Order: sequence, then structure tokens, then C-alpha cells
Amino acid sequence: MVLFLAGIFLLFAGGITSLLVRDQIKPFISVVFSFFSTLLLSFMSLRILFGGETLTYSFGLPFPVGTVPVVIDPLSAFFILLISVMSFIPLVYSTGYIASYKDKSLSSHYFFLMLLICSMTLVTAVQNAVFFLIVWEIMSLSSFFLVIFEDDKKEVLSAGMNYLIMMHISVLFIMAGFIALAMHSGSADFSSFTGVFAKNGILKDLIFICLFAGFGIKSGFVPFHNWLPKAHPAAPSHVSSIMSGVMIKTGIYGVLRMISLMGTPTLAVSYFVLGISVLSALYGVLYAIAQHDIKKLLAYHSIENIGIIGMGMGIGMLGLVYGHALLTVLGFAGALLHVLNHSIFKELLFLGAGSVYLKTKTRGIEKLGGLFKKMPCTGWLFLIGAFAIVGLPPLNGFISEFLIYLGLLKGLELMNINILVIFILSFGSLAFVGSMALLCFTKVFGAVFLGLPRSKEARHVENDSPFIMTVSMSALAVLVFSIGLFPQYAVRLTFTAVQSLTGRTENISGTLPIDLMNIISSIALAFIALAGILLVIRKLSLKNSYQESIKTWDCGYQAPDSRMQYSASSYAAPFLSLFNPFFAVSSDTVKPAGYFPSAGRFKEKKRDIIEYYFIRRLTGYFDGLFKKFSWIQGGDTQLYILYGVIFLIAALIAVVVY
Amino acid sequence: MVIFILNILVLLVLPFVFTGVINKTKALWSGRKGAPVLQPFHDFVRLLRKGQVISSASSVIFIIAPSITFISVLMSGFFVPLVSGRSFIELEGSFIVFAYLLAAGKFFSLIASLDVGSSFEGMGASREAGFSTIIEPGFFIILASIAALTGNYSFGAVSMTLEKAGPFGYLITVLAAAAVFIILLAEGSRVPVDDPNTHLELTMVHEVMVLDNSGFDLGLIFYGSAMKMVIFASIVANLIIPSVINIYLSASIFIAFVLMQAVVIGTIESSFARLKMSRVYEFIFIVISLALAVLAMVAMRAHGG
Repeated sequence: MVLFLAGIFLLFAGGITSLLVRDQIKPFISVVFSFFSTLLLSFMSLRILFGGETLTYSFGLPFPVGTVPVVIDPLSAFFILLISVMSFIPLVYSTGYIASYKDKSLSSHYFFLMLLICSMTLVTAVQNAVFFLIVWEIMSLSSFFLVIFEDDKKEVLSAGMNYLIMMHISVLFIMAGFIALAMHSGSADFSSFTGVFAKNGILKDLIFICLFAGFGIKSGFVPFHNWLPKAHPAAPSHVSSIMSGVMIKTGIYGVLRMISLMGTPTLAVSYFVLGISVLSALYGVLYAIAQHDIKKLLAYHSIENIGIIGMGMGIGMLGLVYGHALLTVLGFAGALLHVLNHSIFKELLFLGAGSVYLKTKTRGIEKLGGLFKKMPCTGWLFLIGAFAIVGLPPLNGFISEFLIYLGLLKGLELMNINILVIFILSFGSLAFVGSMALLCFTKVFGAVFLGLPRSKEARHVENDSPFIMTVSMSALAVLVFSIGLFPQYAVRLTFTAVQSLTGRTENISGTLPIDLMNIISSIALAFIALAGILLVIRKLSLKNSYQESIKTWDCGYQAPDSRMQYSASSYAAPFLSLFNPFFAVSSDTVKPAGYFPSAGRFKEKKRDIIEYYFIRRLTGYFDGLFKKFSWIQGGDTQLYILYGVIFLIAALIAVVVY
Repeated sequence: MVIFILNILVLLVLPFVFTGVINKTKALWSGRKGAPVLQPFHDFVRLLRKGQVISSASSVIFIIAPSITFISVLMSGFFVPLVSGRSFIELEGSFIVFAYLLAAGKFFSLIASLDVGSSFEGMGASREAGFSTIIEPGFFIILASIAALTGNYSFGAVSMTLEKAGPFGYLITVLAAAAVFIILLAEGSRVPVDDPNTHLELTMVHEVMVLDNSGFDLGLIFYGSAMKMVIFASIVANLIIPSVINIYLSASIFIAFVLMQAVVIGTIESSFARLKMSRVYEFIFIVISLALAVLAMVAMRAHGG
């Protein structure tokens, strides 16, 4: 517990110190404080994860909070480990990245960054509803200030406002759920909620769905996802990578914590979680393919991956419902491992996108190209991230997806017709998601890094990003490889967390697919080894033979240039045209006409259908409703005083009458 | 042990014979004598010895991709059930590893084709990536349905379908085999999805992706795609042929079945034109319909039908 408190204190102190020093030193001060805090926190969490014990401590705080129980069980420890390590790496990256904002005052940027890390850590540790909401709110607010770093840009501000509003809708749902729980249990402590959840009934389901909606907005489940593709492009890259890699996972933590309090969920909510997750995964990746802004695209991929994590949770919940230990373990272990994996490769990709943005000042993938030769380190690292996010062996994304696939397969053992059909369809959907991700990331990598540069900005890139940026990204790449090549250890990391989550005390270590992971590890190593051997053979056999470098084949045309190159939109277009009904498409086409064709143009916009038809309409109704009350706000001071007087009189009458 | 050696032969040698038989069939249908069946092997050796011409626009990705893709196909072959339904590596969920290994290779072949900055190669890559997005879910649904049917979660389950399925068995087998055969046509870029003999870049799928490859790399690409066809043909063969105790008998039935598919492919190629590009997706969607039909059958059987 001392380690935990010291870690939190260091983060907070780092934030305060960064307010006091000059702009140039701010990043370094934060990194130093965060480094020590990361050491302490990850040491503590690893000890809990492998020891399996739970740290408990209570703080007496003044009204209205009361005693705050801080409980760090293996589930919290898993998330604390994730938060501390995965926030530290982007922070290191930011020391190189932030230097590009030369004429921008950093003011309180690093303060909020440290505050965000601090509050995220606290969110996973406190087990009291009131205090939880307080730190949750601090987390949302500090991330809001991080998003609006470039507050002189109009679209950044509007994205920030959108984010702020969504986060408050989220808090509203969570508050409603907690209030209902606290009313029935008489206490705001999480431990007392178990009693309410123990009674089956419609109330249990309603409360869970309410809380799921709240946490789901934070994580970006469909249909509450629309803040993600707005906030991520607006924020600086290190912030978007912390937000996407770490912060949205606190929503997942919330859901998992609620599941652990529930004991055994009901069948209905388990199917609900599974269903909404499959939907999120499909929706996220389909929209990602249609994006041309690299950070927006990555944001949609976060929605996809949150969906995959949710599928793991749904499988685990169904395992709890049916009392099938293997299903439970595979589902939750897959979900937790995917939480970790996603945060690693998503941060890698966001940081890679940041490096590209730094050099070219554009996020549009149609304007890039050929960067691999000029930025080889960033290129390789981005390739590793892209390969991992598609879930391909031998990298880490494959491991967690494999666990989830295996969970879906093992569910067939239950010999239940509903499970059979739903699981096999989810199985197919996950494969669909995977193959769409493949299309998407071959598009991104091909358009950004390969081929010929498509614009002046891309052509004039001269060197790779600063050393500190590539080093911090390499650290992520090392994590990607180590989990991918030695999954047996990574799976063990989730073991105690799953145990504490499901509340099963019996030994479930036999159900962990360690043997399978050993085989997969050897397969991954063999893959790399064989590919290496073949490349060596290739090199040796070509040593003495004829080699020539000429222009790309273009049907004999000898002056191909970048404008003739296949574009990213054309790459995705044939596939996307199959799914046009799922987009709000607006296009503006003027075809060249006549014997001497005039200039033509083609412009197409694929907008988010949920945002376009559902959220916008909803906000439209609210707008109309609230306009009806606008006459109350007259603008006269006298009028407002009159309102006060009327209220006071009404209150007096009410007191007298009752 | 015998099966192990036979499997190695099937995986490494049969791809040359398979392509050779396709070409021979096509030659016979068009009234020519045709090249010897082992011609693809001689072509392969010739390509390995040749020098290379590399596009100046390309980067190191273009150099390493063909080798990685080839290894991914070879390794996916370790998981596929070959002679008498046995594979080199059997583990739970091996067909997931199989499909993802193939996808890993596809990833590299796709980005390599985008690396040369050509106006054609991206077109082929776009098509290939698009087709496989439709194929994958169908393939996974079929394999998961078969796993549910047989209670066996490894890839070898495909050879047990007939025994375990009872009266539904023939129907499930035929539907699944038809679906996998369509996957074979699509992944191997054969008519009606793609015409390997076409000379117009605009209408190619797989061929156009490798326009700028030559020498060693091109040899690996040809060998790899032939191996991929053999792999899918083995799945079809294992779905259909019943298990036989005698190893040599079952091996010869298996090889006959695989080569018969080469003859079928050759015949299709001699009698049909390829589909219009916009129709190809519709053709590939048949895989999903068949997969859902298999799922429905399996569900009906599980329900006691």
C-alpha cells in the first residue's frame, strides 16, 4: 500500500512541479516523476498479480465521502500495471513530439497529463461509488483539457465540447446505476453492492445495462462511439495514444468490476454484451476502412477492438451463467489480454501516425506515400503495429484473438442450440472483422509508407523522427514481439486477475491453455526462423546473378508518376460499395460530357450513419425542446431577481403548508 | 511415419503436379498435346536460377515479401489434414492458426504490390483483399460448424464429418465441400474469379499483383500459390473421402481426389469465361450462403432432427 500511495503521490507531485517550471523542462520533469511512479506501481501490481493476495486499506475522509476503501485485487493490479506502463511510454515520446509546437505555450498540459494518469490509477483502486465518481470525473475533465491542447483551432474546440458532453452523459448513466445500487444496499461501498446483485430480477438487469451504457460510452461501444473519431484526431498524438490505449480501458475495467460484483450475471445481459460487442467490432472496422484521416481511422479501430474485448467479456459471462469454467477463463483471459495487447499496438500506431504528422503536417493518407524509404524506423515500427492489430501471427494481437476464438469454439461443448448458433455466427463475425482489418491496414500502410509520394509535403521529408520518439516506439514494438512469441507467460499474467474477477477460489490453472500457448510460441518462432532462412537462401542464390533496377511496369509507358498510382480510396472502394446502405453517403458528381469533355469532378462523403440519423436527430429534438423555454432567460437582472423572489415565496408556502 | 513422409511429398511435390494437370487438361480440351505434367517444376527451377529486375520505386518490403508469403503458405500446410486426414501439427483450433498464417502471408503480398507505386497492382491488391474478406467468415463458419458436429476442435475434424453426421452427413459434406472448392477457385485465382491466362492488366486479380516480380521471387510466388491450391483441394478431399484403414489405399484415393479437382478446374477453365468483375463478389458470396446452410444443418441435427 505504501508503494501505491507513493506512486500516486509522485504522479501528483510531478503534475504540480510541471506547473512551476519553464516550458522547456516540463516534459522532462514529468517523465522523471512518472518514471519512478511507474517503477513503484508496476512492481506493486506484479507482486499482486503473481502473489494473488489483495491489498485493502481504508481512508477516513470528511463528508460527503466518508471512509474510502482502497482495494487492490489482482484485477485492479492488472489495470494499474497497464495504466502506469502504457502511460509512461507516450509520455517519453511526447518529449520529442511536443517540441514541434514551438510557438505554443505548454501551460498546464503536463499538469493535466499527470493528473489524468493519477486519476486513472485511482479509478481502478477505489471501491466506493462516491469517490469513484469523483476520480472518474477528474479523469474525464483532465482528458478534456488535453484534447483541446490546440484550442486556437475551431474543430479542436468543437471536438472537445463533443467529448465533454458525451463524458457527462456517461457519468449520468453510471451515477444512476450507482444511486440505484446504493439505495438498495444502504451504502456506497462496492462490497455492499453484491447483495443487491445477488437477487435476480429485472432490477439487476436494468442496473447492469445502465452501468454498461455509462462505461460503454467511455470505452466507445456502438452506438455511443461517436466521440472517439472526433476527439482522437483533435488531440496531440501522445494524448490520443494514452486515451485510446489506456483511458478507454477504464470503461472496460468498470464493466469487469461490475461483473465481479454480480457474481453470476443473467443470461439476457450476457447475450446483450456479446451482441453489442459483435456489432461494435463490425461497425468499427467497416467505418475504419472508409476513413482517409489516419487518426480518425485508428479511432474507429479502437471501436473495433473494444468490440473484440467485449466479445471476450460476453463469452466469459456466458461461462459464468452456465458454470463452465473453461469458457469463463478463455473469455475473460482473452478479454484482459486483448486490453493489454490493444493498448500496446494502438499506442504504437498512434505514435507512428504522430511521427508522420510531425514530418508532413498532414493526416490525410491520400497525400502521403513513399515514406518508408525516408523514415525507415518509423516505417518498420508502424508495420509491426499494423501487423499486430490485424491479429496476425507471430505478433501479440493473434494471441488474444485466438483465446477468444477458442472460447467461442469451446462454448459448443454446452450442447445448447442457442449458444451453437450465436457462437458460430460470432465466430464468423470475428473472422470477418479480422479480414476487414487486414484490408484496412494494408491500405494504410501501403498508402502512407509505400509507393511514390503523393504530395509535396511527403516528397520533402528528409529524415526520420528524433531518436527519443523512435526509442519509445521501439519499446512498444518489443512488447508486441515478446507477447507474440512467448504467449505462455502473458497468459499467466491474466490468470490471477481472471480468478479474482470470477470470484472462483478453486484451482483453475488447469483450465488455462498453457500447453496450447507453448505450441503457438514454437509456431511463431518457427515462422520467423523459416522466413529468415529463406531470406538468407534468397540472398545467397542471387549473389552472382543479374540485377537491375528499372521503372515500374505500366504497360510499356515509361514515365509513371505518383498521380497514376492507385489511391487509398480506390483501394477500398470496391469493397465499400458492397456496404453502401450502412453509410450516410452524400456525393457530388459532375461527369465529363461532350465530344471535347469538360472538366469533371467527383466528391463523396461517407458519414457515420448512427451519428447522422440517430444522434443528430436526437440532439435536434432536445434543441427544439429547450428553445421553447428560452423566454425564461430574458436578460434583465430585475427579471432574475423576480424569479428568486417567486422561488423563495413558493418555498415558504410549501414549508408552511406541509 | 509412412504418413509423415507421404504428407511431405504431398505438400512439396503435389503443387507442381497439380498445376501441371490443370494445364494438361486445358491443353487436351483445346486439342493441343500440352506441356508435360512436370513442366511447372522445370519452370520453377529455371526461375530460381534467373536474375532479377526490381522496380526503382520499391522498398525493402518488396524484396522480403515473396519469401515471407511463401513461408506462411508452407507453414499453413503443416496444419491442414492431408493423407488419411492427418496433419503435421494437430492442436485445438488449428484451423484458426491455419487461416491466420495464410492471412499473414496475404498481408505481405498485398503491401508488396502497393510498394511499386503502380496503377495496376493496387487494383489487383484491392480485389484480392476484398474477396478474402468475404471468404474468411464463410470458411470459419463452416469449420466451426464441423467442430460442433464432430466434437473435435482440430482441423482433422473435417475428415470425420461423414461418420459423425448420420443422415445429414452427405448433405453437410456436399455443401461444405462446394464452399471450400469455391474458396479454392478464389484463393488460387482461377476461372470464374480470375483468369490466369489473361493478358489485360485491368482485368487481372492475382497476376497483376505480381507484375513487377521476377526471378527467384516469382518462382516462390508461383510455387506458393500452387501449394495453396493443393492445401484447399486437400480439405475438399478430406471432407468427401471416407476413412480407409490401409494407408496406401487411402493415400492413393486422396491423391486421386486432389488431382481430380485439378482436372475439374482445367475443365471449368476450358468451358467458361471469367465473370464480370462486378459479378465476382456475387459468386464469392455463395461461400457465405453455403456456410450458413451448413450451420443450419448442424443446428438442426443438434436439436435432434
